[in-house]
Amino acid sequence: MTEIKKQITRFKKKFNFNSKKEVIDFLVRTFFLLSTILSASFIVIIIIFIAQKGVIPFVTDNDGIGRVNLWKFLTGLDWLKGTAFKSNLYGVGFIIINTLYISFFALLISMPIGVLTALFIAKIAPKKIAEFLRTVVELLAAVPSIVYGLFGSGLILTLVYNLAKIFGVQSKGGNSVLAVILVLALMILPTITALSEVAIRSVNKDIEHGSLALGATRTQTNFKVVLSSAKSGIFSAAILGLGRALGEATAVSLVAGNARSGPSLAFFEITSTLTSTMLQGLKETIGIDYDIRFSVGLVLMVVILFSNLTLNFIKKKVGNVDVK
Amino acid sequence: MKKLFLVILSITFVFGLSACGDTTEEEWDTSSSISVYTRDTTSGTRAGFMGGIGFDEAKEDDGVLVDGFVIKDNTGIFSTMQTDEFGIGYISMATLTDDVKGLAFNGVEPTIANTMANEYELKRPFNYVTRALDDYASDTEKNITLAFVAFMKTLDGSDIITNQGAIPLESTQTWDEIKADYPVCEQDNSGVTIKFGGSDSIEKIAKALTESFAPKCGNFVPEHDHTGSSDGFKRTQGEEKDGDNYKHIGFASRPFKDSEAGAEGTQGQLANDAIVAIVHKSNPLNGVTAEELVKIYSGEITTWDELLD
Repeated sequence: MTEIKKQITRFKKKFNFNSKKEVIDFLVRTFFLLSTILSASFIVIIIIFIAQKGVIPFVTDNDGIGRVNLWKFLTGLDWLKGTAFKSNLYGVGFIIINTLYISFFALLISMPIGVLTALFIAKIAPKKIAEFLRTVVELLAAVPSIVYGLFGSGLILTLVYNLAKIFGVQSKGGNSVLAVILVLALMILPTITALSEVAIRSVNKDIEHGSLALGATRTQTNFKVVLSSAKSGIFSAAILGLGRALGEATAVSLVAGNARSGPSLAFFEITSTLTSTMLQGLKETIGIDYDIRFSVGLVLMVVILFSNLTLNFIKKKVGNVDVK
Repeated sequence: MKKLFLVILSITFVFGLSACGDTTEEEWDTSSSISVYTRDTTSGTRAGFMGGIGFDEAKEDDGVLVDGFVIKDNTGIFSTMQTDEFGIGYISMATLTDDVKGLAFNGVEPTIANTMANEYELKRPFNYVTRALDDYASDTEKNITLAFVAFMKTLDGSDIITNQGAIPLESTQTWDEIKADYPVCEQDNSGVTIKFGGSDSIEKIAKALTESFAPKCGNFVPEHDHTGSSDGFKRTQGEEKDGDNYKHIGFASRPFKDSEAGAEGTQGQLANDAIVAIVHKSNPLNGVTAEELVKIYSGEITTWDELLD
């Protein structure tokens, strides 16, 4: 018994522990650290796994088909030239452009709507209505993407098809750039609204009161003071929204038409995104045609990383105003 | 800020407008261009369709198809053809309903009866091949294999095949009527493994068949490993028949090639997979020929009036 006690005292001395409480504290901290390492390491594991598969087409000869040329892959304007499983002429250049183009427009539509909704919920609406609207937005944010996809293929496709007709364009059943933009705009709207709302609510009341005291109207204050103070938070909302837009696969592939060459810039043209291309035939394919989808995944991760860095850079440039 | 409101207002307006723009029965414009829909290169239906119309190079190559084709899955093509008045696509016959117009192929209406009567040609056969009769490890394995082949051709088997979306061959007997011919099914076969392989397009059907048949035949253990049509023959009577991947029964979702002619009585057909070219209901076109379909899919014909006159 005394031996054990001695051991514990030695242990305490070694680590500078003065009481039992500190030992427990140390253990709990270690536990937290471990769980953080575990959750953080998943990103590393995922990247390693995707990268391992994704580089295969570029470094091996793919069972005699030949190496994929990285430069041609990144700049190509055709998904695949030649026969599937026998050709190494893959290209995603046009798909990268499509993806960025579509996400930009989706963001362009949902940013103003989302921010204004957030402003209404946070500043203008009576408390009860605001409470209700907040729940609605949260519900929308929780709707799974396949539901948006079904909604898109059921309703938006017909809508876009008829819209194209009004403009005198014959669209392909509504499968188009515009349909993808609309579905994505719908999907990221709740994310942007919810996050912007939090940002707007956390603007320091003193700034607002100052503006009102100087004789500005409510509306002037809301737009010129509150919104510009919440800039940074709103940008964070945009970053998350863009991430969702870039990464959405299921809903997009149902309305995109999955063009195999491009880029598609006209609104009623069919298109494809990095994710929809990955998803297309994923469950049926083998060999190089399977591995190349992981390469597309790698490209997507790089695209997301770069667009986030760009937005973060802008966010820093735009600057920060005193928020709580 | 005024501008922002204007932008939002105009967006709402455009949507409101499009909602009003109902597809009233206008004159169907024959000068419209054809919107071509297809499955992607990994699809068995695509291989069956392209092979069936004699456009083999398009089976796995998107490059030979007309510019601007749309890739969708079976349901996607089916539902889009309810919207797109000027589209053409193809689906499995099991999916066909009155919501779209199924085109007659080379003059034959796309019906299950016509397929079973062997008149409808846009189809691919689902074939099977077993090991040569003197090439089984034991008599039990051989007898179970033969019993399974017999079961596929019974009414019980056809029901299962129909449920899986394919079109069975005509059958007259039920399993109960013929099971006396297969005494092997009376005994306990729970220690016997029968290996199935070949075409992955037939995997679903094969699994459904064994699932139903195993309990009827002494609970033998079915093992499915479907890797593609060419492995069907290769692993039962071809070069891999004695390898680790040997199979008792292999399937092929295409006719057997000359190089795949097996021992007599070991090969046969269990079903047909019929594919139907479909268009919007308002389309005046009622039938196409194989050549026309090739021209549409290769881009030689791009507007409807070239087909309709």
